[in-house]
Amino acid sequence: MKLREHEGKRIFADAGIPVPAGRVVQSVDELDDLSSFGDRVVLKAQVDVGGRGKAGGVVICGVDEAPARAAELFSKTIKGLAVSELLVEECLSIAHEYYCAVLIDRSTRQPVVLFTEAGGVEIEETARQDPDRIRRFDISPLLTELPAFAVRDLVGPAPKALGPVVSALYRVFLEKDALLAEINPLVVLDDGRVFAADAKVIVDDNAIARQGFRQNRDLTEREAEAERHGFSYVELDGEIGVVGNGAGLTMATLDLIEHYGLRAANFLDVGGGADRERVAHAVRLLAGSPGVRVIIVNLLGGITRCDEVAQGIIDAGVSQRVIVRMAGTNEAEGRALLTEHGYEMYDSMDRAVGAAAEVKV
Amino acid sequence: MILAGRETGVIVTGATGRQGLFHIQLMNEYAREVGGVGVVAGVTPGKGGKEAAGVPVYDSIRAALKEHDADASVIFVPAGAAGDSIMESAANGLSLVVAITEHIPVHDTMQALAYARLCGSTVIGPNCPGLLSPGEAKLGIMPAQLATPGPVGVVSRSGTLTYEIVDELTRAGIGQSTVVGIGGDPVIGSTFTDILARFEKDPATKAVVLVGEVGGALEQEGAASTTLPLVAYVAGVSAPPDKRMGHAGAIVEGGEGDARSKIRALEAMGVTVASRPSEIPALVRSLV
Repeated sequence: MKLREHEGKRIFADAGIPVPAGRVVQSVDELDDLSSFGDRVVLKAQVDVGGRGKAGGVVICGVDEAPARAAELFSKTIKGLAVSELLVEECLSIAHEYYCAVLIDRSTRQPVVLFTEAGGVEIEETARQDPDRIRRFDISPLLTELPAFAVRDLVGPAPKALGPVVSALYRVFLEKDALLAEINPLVVLDDGRVFAADAKVIVDDNAIARQGFRQNRDLTEREAEAERHGFSYVELDGEIGVVGNGAGLTMATLDLIEHYGLRAANFLDVGGGADRERVAHAVRLLAGSPGVRVIIVNLLGGITRCDEVAQGIIDAGVSQRVIVRMAGTNEAEGRALLTEHGYEMYDSMDRAVGAAAEVKV
Repeated sequence: MILAGRETGVIVTGATGRQGLFHIQLMNEYAREVGGVGVVAGVTPGKGGKEAAGVPVYDSIRAALKEHDADASVIFVPAGAAGDSIMESAANGLSLVVAITEHIPVHDTMQALAYARLCGSTVIGPNCPGLLSPGEAKLGIMPAQLATPGPVGVVSRSGTLTYEIVDELTRAGIGQSTVVGIGGDPVIGSTFTDILARFEKDPATKAVVLVGEVGGALEQEGAASTTLPLVAYVAGVSAPPDKRMGHAGAIVEGGEGDARSKIRALEAMGVTVASRPSEIPALVRSLV
C-alpha cells in the first residue's frame, strides 16, 4: 500500500527526518490563515501517481494567490485522478537536491540503499545514462542499523548533515515493513538545513495489519465485494469476464483472451479452495459488471472438486454465456451436471477461450 | 531428479492445521505409492504427543529430530509465524526447507532467508507449491496425478499455471524429472538461477521449461546462467502496466519488469519463448 505524501512525512518526522512545515486541506476554505508559512507556499496535490510535478500537480505561489491556485488544483484531474487533498507547505529556498531510497533487491534478497547528488525529477534519466553517479549499499537484513561506514560511503562528498537522514530512512524502512522508502528530492537549503521535500513510502500489504494501517484505497462497489470474499480482483474494460484460480493461471487466461482477439473485463483469482459458494459469488460478481458478455471459468487443481464448482455455477444462474474449463476430482460428475443445465465445458483453456472467440481449436 | 528423493525424510510444521493435515495425508499416499520415506513427523507447538494424519506430532523440530531422521521440512505455519518456522528448520540442521505459506511479510522472509543461508539450508518458497519428482518424492501441494517421470525439468514462479503446464507436457507424452515451484513472492529462497544450477548437474534432466511472471528480472538472470536447452513462458503480456515502485525499482532492476520486455530479453539470449502454454510441448520436443 502506497502512503500519501503527508502520511509518509508524518512517519519521517516521527523518525527524526526534518520535513517542511505544512498542513493538509480538503477545501479552499481551509486556506484562510497562511501567515505562518511566510510569503510563498507550495501546494501539492495528494494523488497516488508518480510524475505528479510534471503533470501540473505541484504549484508554487504567493500566499495571496494560494486560494485561487488551490481552487484550480481541486478542479483538476491528475493522470485521471481527482484531487481531494492538498498538502500546503512552506516554500524552501533550495541549494541542492539529493536522492535517497531504501528498497528490496529481488536478486540479492536484501535491502539496498541508494544515494545520489543527482536528485530531482530526472533521477531515472540519470540512472540510465550515468549509473555510476548513484551509490548503493546492499545490507544484510540481519543488521538492524546501517553501519557508520556505509552511511559515510553513501553520502560521500555531500554535506555530512545528510548522514543522519540516511540512517533514519533505513530505520523507517525496517520498522514500517516498507517495500520502498524514498526521498526525492532530499534537499539542502541555502542556510545548510536539510529537509525531506517529498516522501514516498510503500508498505508491504502482508504487514498492513500488524502495522495498524488501514487500506486507504478508494474501492468501487465490486472491488469492495471482491475484497470481502478474499478474491484478488482487478477491473479492466473488455467484455469477457474471467474467473481463475491462482494468479499465474488467471493471468495466462487473460493473455489467451488477448491472443484470440478478445478483451478481458477483469482479472479475478478466487484463490485456493474453490468451493460451491465461492464460485457462485465470483460468477455473480462478474455477471453484475456492465459490458460482460461471456464469463470464462478456468479452474485447475488436484484438489478442486469439479462437481462442487459446477454446482456453484448453476447456483449463480447468471444470464450471460458461461464457458467452463476445469480439471480435478470428480471431473465427469461436474461435466454431467453442467451439460444437464446447458453450460459448455472444455478440457483445455485453449478450447475454452477459443469457444468464446467462436474459433475452433 | 533434484533436491529430494525417495530417501528424504520430511517434517511438516503447522501439522495440525487443515492444510497441514490434508497434505501430510497426500504426501504420504504418494510416498507409499513410490516406496519413499515421506513425512515422518509433524510439529505444532503445544500439540506434542498428538497425531496428525497418522504421523506423531511434536512441540518442536528439536523434539521431533530426537525420535526421527529427517532432512527436510515443509512449512504450513500461518504467515505471522512462518519466518520463525523457516529459521527453526535451518537452526536444527535441515538441509531443505519448503515454505508453502503465503502472505508472509517480506521483511520476515528476508530475515529468515538470510539466517537459513548462514545455517547452510536451501529454502524453496515461500508462497509456493513445493516440488515434485515424479516416481520419487513430493514435498508440498502439487497434484501428483498430473505428472509423469521423464527428462524435462520444470521451474516456475506460479502455482496452478505450473500444474497446467505439467498437464500439457504429460498429455503430450513428455515426462518430468523434477517440477519446482519457486514461489510468487518478491523475495524467495531459491531463484531460477539456483534451481537451474541443480538441473545442470542432474544427468536425468535434458531440458528445462521456465515459467515466469511479470516483475523483477529473475527469469533473464536464470536463462543467462544455464547451458541447458530452455523453453520459457511468461504470463502477463496482457497485463496493464504495473504500478511502478517509485523511481527506485527502475534503478535497481534496470527495466520495467513487464512481460513483453522480459520476453524480448529472453529471446535476445536465444531462449525459445512459447506464446501460450499449449505450445510448450512441441517446442520442448524440437529442442530435445
